[in-house]
Amino acid sequence: MEFHSILNSLTYLAPEITVSAALILVVLFDLILGKNKKALPVIALAGMVAASFFVFQQMTFNGFAFSKVSQPWINVGMITVDSFGAFFKSIVILATVLVIFFSFSSEEIKKSFDRLGEYYTLVLGMVLGMFLMISASDLLLVYLSLELVSLSSYVLAGFTKLRERSSEAALKYIIYGAVSSGLMLFGISILFGMTGSTNLYVINSLLQAPNINHLALAFAGILIFAGIGYKISAAPFHFWTPDVYEGAPITITAFLSVASKAAGFALLIRFVKITFISGVAPSGHWQMIPAFPWKEFLIVISILTMTLGNFSALWQTNLKRLLAYSSIAHAGYILMGIAVLSNQGLIAVLIYFGIYAFMNLGAFFIVMLIANKIGSEELEDYKGLGYTMPFLGVTFGMFLVSLIGLPPSAGFIGKLYLFIALVDAKMIVVAVIALLNTVVSLYYYIKVLREMFLAKPASPSTAFKLSPLSLILIIVMLAPVVIFGVYFNPIVEFAKGCVTILGL
Amino acid sequence: MLTEFGKIFVFILLAAVFVVVAIFASKLIRPARPTKEKLLTYECGENPEGSPWIKFNIRFYVVALIFLIFDVEVVLLFPWALAYKDYGLSGFLVGAIFLLVLGLGMAYEWRKGDLEWARPVINPPVIKKQPYVKEVASQISADDNQTVLQDQEI
Repeated sequence: MEFHSILNSLTYLAPEITVSAALILVVLFDLILGKNKKALPVIALAGMVAASFFVFQQMTFNGFAFSKVSQPWINVGMITVDSFGAFFKSIVILATVLVIFFSFSSEEIKKSFDRLGEYYTLVLGMVLGMFLMISASDLLLVYLSLELVSLSSYVLAGFTKLRERSSEAALKYIIYGAVSSGLMLFGISILFGMTGSTNLYVINSLLQAPNINHLALAFAGILIFAGIGYKISAAPFHFWTPDVYEGAPITITAFLSVASKAAGFALLIRFVKITFISGVAPSGHWQMIPAFPWKEFLIVISILTMTLGNFSALWQTNLKRLLAYSSIAHAGYILMGIAVLSNQGLIAVLIYFGIYAFMNLGAFFIVMLIANKIGSEELEDYKGLGYTMPFLGVTFGMFLVSLIGLPPSAGFIGKLYLFIALVDAKMIVVAVIALLNTVVSLYYYIKVLREMFLAKPASPSTAFKLSPLSLILIIVMLAPVVIFGVYFNPIVEFAKGCVTILGL
Repeated sequence: MLTEFGKIFVFILLAAVFVVVAIFASKLIRPARPTKEKLLTYECGENPEGSPWIKFNIRFYVVALIFLIFDVEVVLLFPWALAYKDYGLSGFLVGAIFLLVLGLGMAYEWRKGDLEWARPVINPPVIKKQPYVKEVASQISADDNQTVLQDQEI
């Protein structure tokens, strides 16, 4: 690799460089300003705004960074910059900006005031790792970026030192993370041993050969899926999710459930599509290498994920745990969209993710506001909340309706496009199972609404004043959930423009 | 025929079998005459005192972590130091930025007090003036051990 090609690659890395610069500035200002922490979130926000500018530029980019000039027969690189990556990067930026705003009004974060510098540094470190994860097309970078995201999130999950549950969450997270990243590393080593390359495109061209060992390839595929499945909390690797989501500060829970999942799904789609594809049919369906049955594998995992998520959520009495299981179920729906293995399924996944980001962040934000007020996330403390805090109750209800996927909310549009993709691919049985799962999920979301609106308030009504910032944030998140439910053309067109994965 | 992975599998199998066979064979052959002394946990020839589940001082980990960071830094700097002349100013700047970022990390550690060597608080044992009886002596030595443990925990 020539030095000048490295320098030329830097133009493709503008968002990543911006985030790194913001991270360094946060550390620097934390050192200089000492007790005055007001500037730190502003720097982090400014960094995200600048990064979003570069990401929007990347919507039209198509290229490789750090490509190997020494191999002119195949010009591919470690980092792929394309509109698909730009879509997921914008979701990460959206989640980060909202979570930084959440942190202003979070009581948990305010209590650990003196470590605020570390908080924003780690959040930005996670964003950097997610950006690299989204655009990585080399197994080494895949592993490295996955670890960067994981290590930052381990610390953030245990950020509130005072609560025991928080430390427990961090410890559980780190143990599960170590095991699954070890499995993934083993899978990577098998794939490298079979092909002698770490670049996904090179591996793909070598796997087209007829004399590939199917068993070893299947083994490698499943092991690498273990690493990614842990990030997106897919079924056999989801055990950490409820404990970590319950123990971590709510801002971080919201961040993990949207941003880290977005990066994981982007990595999964890119890995499956680039490494195992052999061609795209005119109908938009991907023809996969016959060595490993990705379609059947993903269908089994997705059905397992959503069924386990929905049925476990039925018995939850803690709102954070309930939302954790609901986010597992949503990961199942999204995996189902990937299992279609076609561009139509991919569009449905992008639409679903765009909507999921808003509704899930919104639900977590309201849980946080209520926890700030009543100091609890237990369902039984939500009795009569619809009367004592009418605005929060009604908006929370709207987010929950969207999470169920009832019309006329945006969640319905997301599910509609997923089911259409499934039916078009003649996967009727899977669609029916997903539909039944949605019915199951109805029960536990409605249970929350029942507690809020049909039960008598336990304590007399207390005055609750919403700060203007919180009000604006709720409206910002509620508007898309309502508007995309009736006027969904913009997000559909946006998603359609972003399905191009470079080289395919 | 065996593939390359097949050979590794045979190797793993043999390793596992070897361990099991070795343990059982030695159990069959060796004489077993346990005494109370023999069953004691071995601790450098001394009689074991207290629980082995003591807390280690966190400062060891801090020092190990900082050492690791700067050790890796040196590994990365060696190839750069050999080659940066060939690439002119930009080659120099690349290394300089790397060093500046690492230096910032170092400054952060320093400022936040992570380089301070946490000193143990020493509580000297109070020896009561009492006639020297064997029980009292053992009591005092137990107290001493208690203080040592506390020091390690700090």
